[in-house]
This record gives sequence, structure tokens and C-alpha cells, in this order.
Amino acid sequence: MKTVFSRLMGLFPRAFRESFAMGMLEMVALEYENARVKGRAAGIKEGFATIVDLTRSAIAERLYPSWVSRTPPRNLQPEFYSMISGWIRDTRHAMRSLRRTPTFTAMVVGMLGLAIGANAGMFSVVNTVLLDPLPYENADRIIRIAASAPGSDFPEEFAGGDEFYVQYREQSELLEDISTYNSFTATLRTNDRVERIRMSYPTYTLFSTLGARPILGRLPQAEDADETAVISHQLWNTWFGGDSTIVGQSFEMAGQSRTVIGVMGPDFRFPTDGTLLWLTDDITADEVRPGRFGRTPLVAKIKEGASFEAVTAELTALASRLPERFGGPPPYVRVIAQHRAVVRSLEEEMLGSVSSPLWVLLGAAGIVLVIAAVNTANLFLVRSEARQRDLAVRRAVGASSLQLVRIQMAEAVVLALFAGVVATFIAAVTLPMLLRAAPQGIPRLDLVGVNASTMLFTLAIALVSAFACGAVPALRGARPDLGRLREGGRGATGKRHWLRDGLVVGQTALALVLLIGSGLLIRSFSALRNVDPGYETEDIFTFQFAPDQPQLTDGPTWAQFHFEFMDRLRALPGVEMVGVVNNVPLDEGTSNQRFRNEEMANNEGAGPNLNYTFAGGDYFRTMGISVLRGRAFQRSDHTSDLGNAVISEAAANLLWPDQDPVGRRFTTDDAGNWMTVVGVVENVLQDEFRQAPEPVFYLPLVGPEPDSWRMSSPAYVVKTARAEVIAPEVRALVREVAPEAPMYRVYTMAGLADRSMVQLSFTMLTLGIVSSLALILGAVGLYGVLSYLVAERTREIGVRMALGAQAGQVRAMVVKQGAVVVGVGVVVGIVGALVSTRALGSLLYGVQAMDLGTFLGMSVSMVLIGLLASYLPARRASNVDPMEVLRGE
Amino acid sequence: MGKNPETGLSNLEYHVLLALAEGPLYGYAIKNSVAEESSGTLTPRAGTLYRVIARMMSRSFVVESGVKGDVPPSPGLARKYYALTPGGGQALKGEAARLKKAAALAEERLLAHQ
Repeated sequence: MKTVFSRLMGLFPRAFRESFAMGMLEMVALEYENARVKGRAAGIKEGFATIVDLTRSAIAERLYPSWVSRTPPRNLQPEFYSMISGWIRDTRHAMRSLRRTPTFTAMVVGMLGLAIGANAGMFSVVNTVLLDPLPYENADRIIRIAASAPGSDFPEEFAGGDEFYVQYREQSELLEDISTYNSFTATLRTNDRVERIRMSYPTYTLFSTLGARPILGRLPQAEDADETAVISHQLWNTWFGGDSTIVGQSFEMAGQSRTVIGVMGPDFRFPTDGTLLWLTDDITADEVRPGRFGRTPLVAKIKEGASFEAVTAELTALASRLPERFGGPPPYVRVIAQHRAVVRSLEEEMLGSVSSPLWVLLGAAGIVLVIAAVNTANLFLVRSEARQRDLAVRRAVGASSLQLVRIQMAEAVVLALFAGVVATFIAAVTLPMLLRAAPQGIPRLDLVGVNASTMLFTLAIALVSAFACGAVPALRGARPDLGRLREGGRGATGKRHWLRDGLVVGQTALALVLLIGSGLLIRSFSALRNVDPGYETEDIFTFQFAPDQPQLTDGPTWAQFHFEFMDRLRALPGVEMVGVVNNVPLDEGTSNQRFRNEEMANNEGAGPNLNYTFAGGDYFRTMGISVLRGRAFQRSDHTSDLGNAVISEAAANLLWPDQDPVGRRFTTDDAGNWMTVVGVVENVLQDEFRQAPEPVFYLPLVGPEPDSWRMSSPAYVVKTARAEVIAPEVRALVREVAPEAPMYRVYTMAGLADRSMVQLSFTMLTLGIVSSLALILGAVGLYGVLSYLVAERTREIGVRMALGAQAGQVRAMVVKQGAVVVGVGVVVGIVGALVSTRALGSLLYGVQAMDLGTFLGMSVSMVLIGLLASYLPARRASNVDPMEVLRGE
Repeated sequence: MGKNPETGLSNLEYHVLLALAEGPLYGYAIKNSVAEESSGTLTPRAGTLYRVIARMMSRSFVVESGVKGDVPPSPGLARKYYALTPGGGQALKGEAARLKKAAALAEERLLAHQ
């Protein structure tokens, strides 16, 4: 505290300091010690009061010196002090004059505050999510590697197989480190809790590649060989209460016991925010079986100074030598010949889908700010117009242009600073609400808040808006028309209206751009709502639980369990039908593997990589998925030796184009077992409504052999009108059947459908709010300008009416003036929207970025609102009483 | 500040001169005297007090005094004492007379009210 006091001495002028600092310091120290004796709080209070006193006294001393030193002061910069004191005088003057016009002040502070607040909020989101670099060491050198094979029937971009990892890791000169990564859900079981959580199963090199270190324990090494796990900070806290003895304990993770060896820091979130656990393994050259594309997404760190182009070229060259090292069937060799590595920064990869909506929203907030600033500038213009006489007087008595500009700028700056305070408050209050409504999956969203950078940003845009709003009127006011003094100050001139009109044109245009943007989103939203996903979303309840019972050992025992449980579910009141599936649409993705039909049978590495899941009970009927050919599963299909399967229409078209697939046989990887198609069902949208339907194989609960597979973490689907309220009864039943297994992933399909659209609905809602704000501000701006115009022309209107003009004519005159301005604004806005709605790109669904209906509808609304805003002042104009006006002459 | 800058004194200035009329004092002691003699209504902090002292010195009402006091605050540091000048005495006297007149006026009026 004492150092603070002596620092504060530095604020006093040198001459004063030299004479009195020692005495002041002694006194301050004595007072402080005395206060501290009375207690901590008293000490803090005293310290604070002293700081305030010293600061205030120092400033006062600099402005109004009380100490006239005998020796002439050195290094005193009189210009500087006179400048500061000039500023303070201007500020005081501005405060006084603003206090005299409370409506103007409140309007400007409110309008700018709202607009700046919206920007501050959006900025803090963008800043944290998009601008803060990934919390990894040398994040700019971390890349994602994918494969492409132009000219082949492979997707534009896909992941390679294990051999790519091995080859790159061993032979690349430009990569410092490399790892695979993936993300899936599996069961974590501790003594008192069991749940399916999100995990990742990278190679052990993941952490060194990303440059991450654990906060507890150690990182995996090659020797750990798939028996260890690293847990996330979140899992450590929520499951284990931050217990520091967690390292060394073993739990069942993804079906096998593994030992926790380390805990990561809260910043480490890879590949997604929700990843709670990392199991690691290594991939060695002898495990490689070439041709299993799509298995191994890669992340790597490039060496310092290596360019993306050089890395791409090197990786492409390394991959081209894969067949000579690992062999592989002819189709594989063909694909490799066409292969090109795709290198992209990890940041770009992770933020790809969230960045454009966020930029759109920040842009929209920016537009609102521009509109608010234009309104403010307009208000300033009107105000300076009204003050022309005052300024002319000042000019006449010798004020310089600079002084006149300063007086006006001071007002703008004071207003903007107040607005900044209001904005910070608005952002701090609304940001948490905004974040609560935000979609899941935006990385680092929980770290967003009003922080130092937000405050700085707010201050900066407040000042910029101050200069923008204040500059035009201030510069105009600097050259007041001295003729006004002669005219008695009434002068009504129309010559500067173009400036205000121009501002309104700009506002109208910007508001229309936002309106069209949100119109397009609303249409996308309603289009998505009308998508037929292939299943019903109403009246369906779904949940999971993972029983752990000794008799559940293989496919048949699990199938038995599912059927017995489903019988009891069906007996609950109000339940119509029940089914079971491994991955419920909109909640979990399916697994995939290579499927071969009879023609492809002998061709290893052939056959498309397709999705599959397991289904039983009345799954298709419960979900409302129609059977197109053949039949759905029967209970008898779920025994081990039959191998009957149901496939989706898309899968049928892929493996058996133009043929009836019912009765045809297929096989998966090297199982050596054949399965038979017994039915074809409607396509479903598994992950979200905007994707194209993907081929799916529905396999029975029991595979060709009892041990082929077992469905141990199933999702049950229940058709019931009581979907919203049935959870407690189901929970009770689960507790009865499997007391060891808690229920999780409890949803209604309707809830899942809402969740899947939240990114769009969130953007739509936010943009909707922002564009309504823009519309209101734009209308207010137009109204303000026309009102002023009418007020200014009252005399002229009075004369016209005295000469016989009808009220209707006068109204038409004013409305026409408004209509012209709005019309020009709408045209400019349409052009602007044509250019800028492309930014909505991936958010749009079922509607073109240049949708004619939306453009037309919004433009018409804009014109109508413009006309309304003009009509009100027009009505006032037509109420002018000519006698009053003329008497006033 | 509610005073004539040429001759008048602010309340705090008056009390500072009043304190020094008893003899030379250093900063903290001045504050204590002021607090006591103003019945606790004035408790200036360091910055405020020393600006008043500076102003009084600039107006030649107060000078730095040669009298060295009891114990130095810490070894090697001498306290600065401040003393009233004859001019300061005159100013105090004038202000006291003014206050007296004002007080008499107040008494008179309050009496008239009763």
C-alpha cells in the first residue's frame, strides 16, 4: 500500500512534490497505521480514501496550482497542461449542455448503448471462440491431414487408413509429430456410476502433437499398449470430485479395464469440447492392412518454417509409395495413384461450421451499430442546426474553428462514453442468456464472458462511434453561417438535406439487408421443419441404460434380456409399441464398415464403406419407418444362425441397383459369414435434417455366431402419447430390472429434433432480434428526419395552406419526400443483400440465397414501414394552422 | 470555494492558520489540531491539507519554521514545521472578526425568531 502512496506522489507537479511529498507521505503512513490498528476493513477503507484524495489533489494541483515555487519549475510542459485543462473545460461544458437536453441525451445514450452492447456481446463470443488461438502450443503449426483422390469414386475428402499414419510418422521430414484421432461414445463404469460418455481413441502421440501436458500424472507412452487412459478435467471433477489419488485407479472403459495415468487441464478439449476420456494405443507397421480408408483421421504438427504446400507435396509423395511397402489389391493401388494429401490448419477445421454464423451475427450487430450511429449523427446534425445561432455568436466574438469543433466533439465523446457504460452493462446481462440459448458443439463457448478485451473493444467502438457521429456536425458547426445573425436566426435552408437524406438511405438499405437475411433464415427453418426425416418425431420416448449382469455374456443372452425388458415396457400404461436400436437418429451416429455383395465377395478391400446399426423389437413401426419391400424383423430373426438383415433403400440402391434386394446375400469384412436381406425400409436422416440420407444396414441383435456381436448399450424407443411424462415410470422399471444401471440419454424424439435445429434456430432468433432492432432504429431515423423537415417548413406549409393547398396535398408532399428516400434505400439494400446473403451459405436450407419471395416481401415491408414513419410527420404538417403561422410573422 | 481569493479564507484555511497560531506544527499535528478545533467537522487528508499549506505559503501567511521538534519520524529525516507569519496573523484576525460578526448576526436573528 505504501508503494502505491509514494507512486501517487509522482502525480503532483514536481515543485509541489519537492516541497511537500515527504510530509504528505509521513502523514499518510501515520493515518494508515492508525486505521489498520482498528482492523483490516478500516485499513482498506483508509487506504482507498487516501488514494482518492491524493489523486484528486494531484489533478487539482496541476489544474489550479496552489504552490508558487520560488525557483522556476523545470520540465513543465505548459502546452500539455493547458490542453488537459482545455479538455476538462470542454467536457464540463458538454456535460452541462447535455444536461439541458435530457431527451436528446437519453435517446443517444440508449440507442448507442444498445447497439454497442450488441456488438460487445457478439465480439466476446467471436473473440473467445474464433480469435483466441487454440489453447495448444504453436497452434498455428498444427494441421489436419485428409486424403483426396480426384477422379475416383471416393468422396471429395476422406480419411486414410493406418498405413498413412505409419508412413508419415516414420518417413516425413517436415512433420514434427503426428497422431490419429477420433470421437465416439462408449461406456465408462466406476463403482457407483455407469454412463456412456464421449471418448477418443488416438495414438499415444496425440498429446505431444498438440503440445499438451497433464496437470496430474503422466502422458501415455508406446509401452502402455492400450491399458491406460487419460481423463479430462471435467470428468475428473464431475465423476471423481477432483480426487488427486485418481491416478493409478482402474475402471472399465469401453469394455475393458484400464488404468487412469493422467488428468488433463481444463483447456485441453480435443477433438470436441465434450470429450471426457482418451484411450490410447499405437499403430505399428505390422498391424497395417492397406485399403481400409476412412479409419484414420490425422492431426500433426509441422516443423517450424515448413509451408502447407511443401507438406502437402511431401505427404502426397510419401503416400504414393504405400503400395510398394504394404502391397494391396488393384483397386487400392489405383486409388493411391490418384491420391493427393489435403492439409488444413486444425483451427480452420475445428471452427469450420460455427465460424460463418458467428461472423454473420457479428456483422449484423455491426450493421445495427452503423444504423444507430447514423441516427445519432442525424440527431447531432439537427442539434447543430438548432445551435447555428449560438455557434455563430461564439464565432463572432472570436472563437476559433478548432474551438467550435472541440466543443461539439466533446459532447459526442461524453455521450459515447456513457453509451459504453450502458453497453457493457447490457452485454454483461444479456450474454449469459444468449449463451444459454446457443447450440452445443461451439468450442470454448463456456469461456465466453465480458472480460478485459471486451471492455477494450467496447471503449474502442464507443470512441469510434463518437468520432463518426460527432465529426460531420462538428465540422459543419465549425463554419457557422454568420448571416444567421442578421436574419434573426430563423433561416430555413434546404441545401443540406441531401446529407441527412443520404444517411436515411443508408439506414434503410442496411436494415433491409438484415431483414432479408433473417427472412431467409426463417424460411430455412420452416423448410427444415417440413423435412421428412423418414421417421416420426411425435410421441416417441427414448432412453438408454447399460446393464451389467453376469448372465449377459453374448449376443443371444443380450437379445433375451432386451426382449424380456421390452415386454415389461410395453405393459406400462399408454405404451403402444416398443423397439430397440443401437444408435437413435439425431442422437448418435452409426458405426460403419465395408459391405460386399456376392459379386464383390472375393475382392478384398472392395465394397463401399457403409453405416450399420442393430435393431430389434418393433423398432421400425415405433419410429414410423415404412417397410418398402419384404418385411421388418421378426422375433425369430434374432437367433444366431439365421443372419437375416433389413437394409435401407439407399443401401439397396448401392449394392443391388435396379434389382430386388430381398433374398440377396452380403458379407462384411473378413467374417466369412453371409447374411440375407429380408426387407428394405425407408431412408432415414441419422445425424441431422439437412444431410442427404445415407445407406444403413440394420443387423439383428444376434450375429451369425453367438459371439459375433452383442448389443450392450442399447437405446429403447417407446411409442406413447405420454412421451413427455413417462420417464419416471420407465426409470422405476429400469431400477427394478437392472438396479446397477442408471438411465441416461433420456429424450423425446421431438426434443432431439429441436436440438438438431438449434444452430439454425439460434442464429435465426439472434438475427431476428438484431434485424428488428435495425428496423426500429431505421424507422426512428426516418421519422426523425421527416419530423424535423416538417418543423422547419412549418412556415412554408402554412403559407401554402393559406393560399389554398389542401391538407391531403400537404400530406402527400411530405410522404412523397419520405417515399423517395426509402425507395432509394430499398434499391440500395436489395443490391447489398444480393451481395451479402451469400455469407449465410451453409445455414440456408431449401431456399436460395437470392430467394425472390423473401426479397420482395421484405422490401415491401420496408417500404410500408417507411411510409408509416413518413405519415406521422405528414399528418402533423397538414394540421398546421395557417392563421397561427402567419400571425407569427 | 465560497471565498474572496484576495483576502478571504476558506473554512479549512482558517482552521490551519488557527492551529498554527498556537505555535509551529508539522503536517500530521496540524491535521489533529484542525480536527479537534473544528469539533471533528474537518479532517483533511494529506493531499488536501498540504495543498492548503502550499496555498497559505504562496500567500505568505505561513512559512517553513526553523524550530525542530521532538522526535524525528525516522532516522535521518527531519520533520518540516510550519509557522504563522505576521501577515498570516493579520489574515486570521480579519477572518475571525468576520466570523464573529456573522455569528453575532446569527444570534440576533435567531433571537428575533423566538
